[in-house]
Amino acid sequence: MLSILRELIARRGLLATLTARDLKARYRGSVLGFLWSLANPLLLLAVYTFVFGVVFRQRALTQPYSLFLLCGLFPWVWFATALTEGTVALVANSALLRRAVFPVELLPMVAVLANLLHFLLALPVLAVALLAGRLLGYPVGGWSALALPVVILLQLVMTGGLALGLAALHVHFKDVKDLLANLLALLFFLTPILYPLAAIELPALTYVVRVSPMTPFALGYQELLFHGRLPGPWLWAQMLGVAAVAWLAGAGLFARLRETLVEAA
Amino acid sequence: MSEAPAIRIEAATKLFRRQAPGRHFRTLKSALLEGSLVGRATEEETITALRDVSFEVARGEAFGIVGSNGSGKSTLLKLLAGILRPTRGRVLVDGRVAALIELGAGFHPEISGRENVFINGALLGLSRREIERRYEQIVDFSGLADFMEEPVKNYSSGMYVRLGFAVAIHTDPEILLVDEVLAVGDESFAHRCLRRIEELLAAGRTVLFVSHSLALVEGLCDRVAWLEGGTLRAVGEPRRVVDAYRQAVAEAESAEHQRSKEEREAAEAAPAEAAAPAEVLRWGSGAAEITAVRLLDEVGAERYHFASGEAVTIEISAVAREPLSDFVFGVAIATPRGVECWGTNTDLEGYEPGSFSGPATVRVRCPALRLGAGEYQLDVAVHARSGSPYDYRRKLVAFTITTPRAGVGVYAPEREWRFAGEVVWRRRPEP
Repeated sequence: MLSILRELIARRGLLATLTARDLKARYRGSVLGFLWSLANPLLLLAVYTFVFGVVFRQRALTQPYSLFLLCGLFPWVWFATALTEGTVALVANSALLRRAVFPVELLPMVAVLANLLHFLLALPVLAVALLAGRLLGYPVGGWSALALPVVILLQLVMTGGLALGLAALHVHFKDVKDLLANLLALLFFLTPILYPLAAIELPALTYVVRVSPMTPFALGYQELLFHGRLPGPWLWAQMLGVAAVAWLAGAGLFARLRETLVEAA
Repeated sequence: MSEAPAIRIEAATKLFRRQAPGRHFRTLKSALLEGSLVGRATEEETITALRDVSFEVARGEAFGIVGSNGSGKSTLLKLLAGILRPTRGRVLVDGRVAALIELGAGFHPEISGRENVFINGALLGLSRREIERRYEQIVDFSGLADFMEEPVKNYSSGMYVRLGFAVAIHTDPEILLVDEVLAVGDESFAHRCLRRIEELLAAGRTVLFVSHSLALVEGLCDRVAWLEGGTLRAVGEPRRVVDAYRQAVAEAESAEHQRSKEEREAAEAAPAEAAAPAEVLRWGSGAAEITAVRLLDEVGAERYHFASGEAVTIEISAVAREPLSDFVFGVAIATPRGVECWGTNTDLEGYEPGSFSGPATVRVRCPALRLGAGEYQLDVAVHARSGSPYDYRRKLVAFTITTPRAGVGVYAPEREWRFAGEVVWRRRPEP
């Protein structure tokens, strides 16, 4: 697992090149280019704001609702698209795997990094939104946002680990991709993104949302950006714990299956 | 050799797991438990691509690998390149490898040739600065200077391979693995590649060369390995190994001819099954019939593969259904594409017919049949002197001629080269 990390760091030049290739190829010939990566989350934002903020009148602790939503939504989109693309990365590039000699772990990581870049490029939108909220007199944002890189790094480790594990499994089981798509749809609602954790009144249910590996991260982003305060030590511990477990499990599975990947992909 | 070899393969075996539907769980289980796809798979679940292959390649050597399709050549190269790992045994490669296997892997169709050079170079282990330094040479070598800003999807397949080759060969490899790539580019590009390979050899680099062009392998390589069905049949001096391989191919073809001849005879014995053939291969009045044709060698053994210049006897068995006084026996040899090589008949050769009234055997012996290398087909006929056929049989027998050295055309005369004056050869063929 550490060896995978070492390999990724040693080949960071190639990792960057492949990520750039991915992004260039994706936006070649499109007029709006990467702005499209903003379109989907903003559209979701509009829909959810309408449904939950206007129709269902979600209120407690979450004014303004769309700002609250935004803090959890962007990281989720990164998480979900990175896993979706990372899972198929090996199978989609099987021709490359069989012809060139290079560390295969780069491919799922390219998907994670390309989508991280999208997330980072979306951050200015978030910043402007928070600033606007502040000017309107809401107590959002603040210096706590400086801790954002740490949360992002932890989410990177968590997402990277899961992407590696899922990509390796998908080589052997083509069902993984479809399973993941359904699971992600489910997890989205289990993760406190549309609603604050405090809105769950039944204590038993607060444990159910812990099923989602994104839960501590969504809470972390909300603390830093929406509430303008640093997460408590317990929340940090959860993020760290989930990231560590996801990396160890995912990268461990990948390392176990590595020898079989080129042939089976 | 005091120096450590560039490549050493010790009893390398490579198994592939058969893709069996509904076996995913077992495959995954063995992958998870043993870190291998074939760990405890049974014999029927695997395909053996290579079996106990061992050899060494010295530094600076040009090493060729020949063998028919599916003999394991490409698997072997992939083991050497490090793309695949042996199931058993060891593969030791000492030095930076460039594998010219399915070139242009990793080219992204949507982005430009220039950007793809950088990506491909990075995949092959070059840093950005190294690629920048060599970029001009790469473009020069590929001859694609005008197309570098075009997306690669607009390239022809030849251009694609040229760019891939140009990048790979400029990685400054210590060991170059070449898999049948020269067949793709045009002639001038193939020459440029060969020149570059020769330069690398002259600079003391090691080249491993897989090709179906036996002449090229003989000309370029210091030693040759012959793979058949995943096992190493021979390693050694190019002429000897390539000839052994040629011989085996010719024997297999000879067996093929024999089989198709038997099938044809069997089919004729059961004419009901012979549905209208695309090509008429037999016609005539039936007054006489050719019942069998065989090719015999010097000692009278039936054979369908000969070295050029060997004695060949064409033996025709025929039977007259009615007494005939006007008859001619004829033979003709043509290539499968219809080029007439030689033909004659008893009339042309001055035999005046007397009578033919029952079974008979006609033999034509050529003490030295000097055809060029290739496949040939034999037509045999018995007809009247007017040309009106009793039984005319086209493409009745197929046979193969081999020559020790490649040449062009249907004729291979006995020959010797003599030189005088200011002409020097670095190497002459061994007698």
